[in-house]
Amino acid sequence: MMDKKTLLFAGIAIALIIAAMAPFIASSNPDGLESAFFGIFGAKDLQGSSLDEEMAGSAEEEVTGITGNEYSFDSPFPDYSIGGMSKFGEAAAVIIGTLLVLGIALGLSRIVARRG
Amino acid sequence: MHIPDAFIPLPQAAVYWIIALIFIALSLRWARKELSEEKIPLVAILAAGIFAIQAVNIPIPWGTSGHMMGAALAAIVLGSPFAAVFILTLVLIVQGVLFGDGGLTVMGANIINMGVIGGFVGYYSYRGFYPVFKSPYAPAFIAGWLSLFIAALACAVEMAIAGTFPLGLGLFSMGLYHAVIGIIEGGITASAIYLIATARPDIMADTEGVPA
Repeated sequence: MMDKKTLLFAGIAIALIIAAMAPFIASSNPDGLESAFFGIFGAKDLQGSSLDEEMAGSAEEEVTGITGNEYSFDSPFPDYSIGGMSKFGEAAAVIIGTLLVLGIALGLSRIVARRG
Repeated sequence: MHIPDAFIPLPQAAVYWIIALIFIALSLRWARKELSEEKIPLVAILAAGIFAIQAVNIPIPWGTSGHMMGAALAAIVLGSPFAAVFILTLVLIVQGVLFGDGGLTVMGANIINMGVIGGFVGYYSYRGFYPVFKSPYAPAFIAGWLSLFIAALACAVEMAIAGTFPLGLGLFSMGLYHAVIGIIEGGITASAIYLIATARPDIMADTEGVPA
């Protein structure tokens, strides 16, 4: 049985190892929702594996026309990338995100729990 | 299944945000009542681990990939669906604001699908199946699979209301892909529960002993 500190550090270590490996092992295929979207808008066969990049681009324009939601936001690290850096930049981005989530979760939990 | 901004019209996105905010408020109430000094590190580890594992897209057939959601895991380990709402909301805010993963106007819908539906389906299916198997692992697998699958179907319904997907085809394709991705969700949920139960059997003790 691990004590509280050991559990915390073991957990953080596991999260950081996953974060560091993520860009190297992750698939760049579209996810389930994107794949359904490309299939429905004719950029990809539902059960096929090749994506028509041109059709994919026009599908994105088409859907904006349907919903009228043109909101866009420039995130600092789009798609987990750090400007100009390769996979190592992505690993750094995921590690930064993991540590940030850890910090916010710890901080917010402490603040909320103390109020009670 | 992070919905981007363009997929939902703004008025509908606002409705999803309002519903999400109600659940976020309830999850904060859960946190205030239930978060002991013992549980705070566990919440933080689960949040960080779920963020990291969500970056690992695993290839599935049909030129598609999927990653774990983590809501069932959070809800089972912490013993409440609101734990999943609390943790997934934090993860989704960081993903959306810093990494452009999931839209900001539609974040309410993403919180509903992954946090609320994922958490409630995960938690209650785990509790429902626990007495059948009398062991945490098979129920955890089923809870993980169902939580992802139902969340994906909910997402397809939202896409149909938005006019983005036709209902039938949307349900079919989202269901098909996520039935496979759910195997990843179930497998990692059961494995993580094994690891946590091995490291700290006391933490799991109060959630294993269904019904409370």
